[in-house]
Amino acid sequence: MKFFAGCDVGSTYTKAVIIDENGKICASTILRSKMNAEQSSRMAMDEVVSQVPGLGSVENISYLIGTGYGRNRVPFADENISEISCHAMGVHVTDPAVKAIIDIGGQDVKGIAVAPDGTVKNFAMNDKCAAGTGRFYEAIARSFEMSLEEFSSLSLKAKNVIPVTAQCTVFAESEVIALVGEGKAPEEIAAGIQMAVAKRCFVMAKKAGAVNDITLTGGCAKNEGLKKAIEKVLKIKVTELKTDPQLMGALGAAEYARRKGA
Amino acid sequence: MKDLKYRVYFENLLSDVKNELVAQALDDGKRALGFSCYFIPAVLLNLDGCFSLRLRAPGTTDTGIATYYMSEKTCMFSRSILERAIEGGYNFLSALMGTETCSMMNRSQEHFEMLNLVKDVNDKFYVTHVDPPFVMKDYAFTHYEKQLRIHILDKLRDTYGIDTSDEALMKAIDEHNEVCDVITEIGNFRKQENPPITGYEFHLIELVSEVCPQKLILPYLKETLEEIKARKADEKPWYRVRVVLAGGENDDPYFTKLIEDSGAFVVADRYCYGSLPGRERIEVKPGETPLAAIARHYMYTSQCPRFMSQDKVHGRKQYFKQLAEEYKADGLIVEQMKFCEYWEYERMYCMNVMESEYGLPCLGIEKEYVTAASGQLRTRFQAFVEALELKKIKNGAEVK
Repeated sequence: MKFFAGCDVGSTYTKAVIIDENGKICASTILRSKMNAEQSSRMAMDEVVSQVPGLGSVENISYLIGTGYGRNRVPFADENISEISCHAMGVHVTDPAVKAIIDIGGQDVKGIAVAPDGTVKNFAMNDKCAAGTGRFYEAIARSFEMSLEEFSSLSLKAKNVIPVTAQCTVFAESEVIALVGEGKAPEEIAAGIQMAVAKRCFVMAKKAGAVNDITLTGGCAKNEGLKKAIEKVLKIKVTELKTDPQLMGALGAAEYARRKGA
Repeated sequence: MKDLKYRVYFENLLSDVKNELVAQALDDGKRALGFSCYFIPAVLLNLDGCFSLRLRAPGTTDTGIATYYMSEKTCMFSRSILERAIEGGYNFLSALMGTETCSMMNRSQEHFEMLNLVKDVNDKFYVTHVDPPFVMKDYAFTHYEKQLRIHILDKLRDTYGIDTSDEALMKAIDEHNEVCDVITEIGNFRKQENPPITGYEFHLIELVSEVCPQKLILPYLKETLEEIKARKADEKPWYRVRVVLAGGENDDPYFTKLIEDSGAFVVADRYCYGSLPGRERIEVKPGETPLAAIARHYMYTSQCPRFMSQDKVHGRKQYFKQLAEEYKADGLIVEQMKFCEYWEYERMYCMNVMESEYGLPCLGIEKEYVTAASGQLRTRFQAFVEALELKKIKNGAEVK
């Protein structure tokens, strides 16, 4: 049996997936990224290799593709492909009906329109600042003195939305602290934050030409409050993926590896 | 490919506005005349006794003082030029030839006067403003020619005693054409399937020809042309796809390098400070004065999105398509500096129509003056390259 792998070295998390000749996922992992992309990819690959009985070493993988911001630094990769192409392919093999993706990663937000064959039809990307990204949520959760998981469901209890005007991560954090100090309900402030990020996602999705059958990928896809806010602004239901949405880049890279190395 | 003999030398010339060739010309008593816009014909600034210098601000980091004067809602190029002037970086200039084209640069030039920049070390220094036309009409042409006469030639003659006679202009045209011929010949190598030059190298060559005294840079250009003629390309082309790079002000060769590092060969440079248009010969028709020929040439070859008439709006898209065909490009990248009043609209328009109406896939990039966040830019370029490559595979083309 041949095995193929994708290693997605993101700014916050490193993800790796191994699939077999039939495209079935045999192993996967999500680890916090180190400062050194090479070290992150080694750790992630060691982890997934250990999950496949008899594989033994990363060298026994038939073809490996690196992706993510650290894609050039994956030492054992046969080649690298941009995360935009990989997310499109990852989602396509998971659910071919999906036509558009909002990928919210650790340091940027991307809107991707997917062609019927899983390639990229169009894309738009916001990378000017950390607003609306994983880094942003980490900072905001910290100011609420909550874990990310706790914060992501906080807004679901809100009856009102308190608009948060600041887009910048630093200023948004200050605004949140001021609002908490004024005695505003935390869940309503949280709803305001989710709405502000959802609006950014709306712009990215529309810029990429997304119309319907949309899904979320990246770490922030697990944020329930954000998902609801996006559904509200886009006025469509976000498609749930049956595989962890944070793995889509690595899965897409593994699928490209399978097609190239078969 | 073997490295070009003068690559590092050219890179060094671009690292400072007052580079060694500019310093040499100044030592020889020549007057440096700064400009930035295509509507200032460089040929008029290369009369005997003076030389043209297209303004750049290499190595810009902070534009704090310029931002105070111009606000942060202006393009970083115009602020960088002003900041460098405030720092004293253009104190060697004898004049700044401004244009009423984009309001950002106009404000930058205005601050040269308001803040008394350069003038405190050279009391003859002046800033002049040419008003180029918005339409392609005979009366607009007459107006433009008159503007060039009054604001450039007469000022040079009256202030510095420069000979602006027709004979002097004809000589300047001949010298200008000589530079253009060399640049064009070098640029044409980019049309080859496996060219002996990269887009980055061409960007360096074109830029040094804009920012160095042309008489001093010409021998280097000629030698480089001969070197490229004899240069052997690698056995297999290094690129994955070919692209036309279009857009507004772009004097950053590392931007081109970033695109090429992502696998796209920049085959044509249709941006401000590029060669298309910019390096075409100026032809003087029988019975035409040299100044009229120059005015006609610059007015009619301009592809600036400042022209809003429908024929020019569509003509610009046709020009992209024509370049793509001529240089066998697979796609178009349109770059625009943040807050650029003309290219902001043009970029969005191109992103919407170039593929659907002209069959040319288009990537739009909003950039700062200095290439920053290169990791994210690289991701965009690479994703675009991958999409173009897949399109080629689908169309049955062989992929390199």
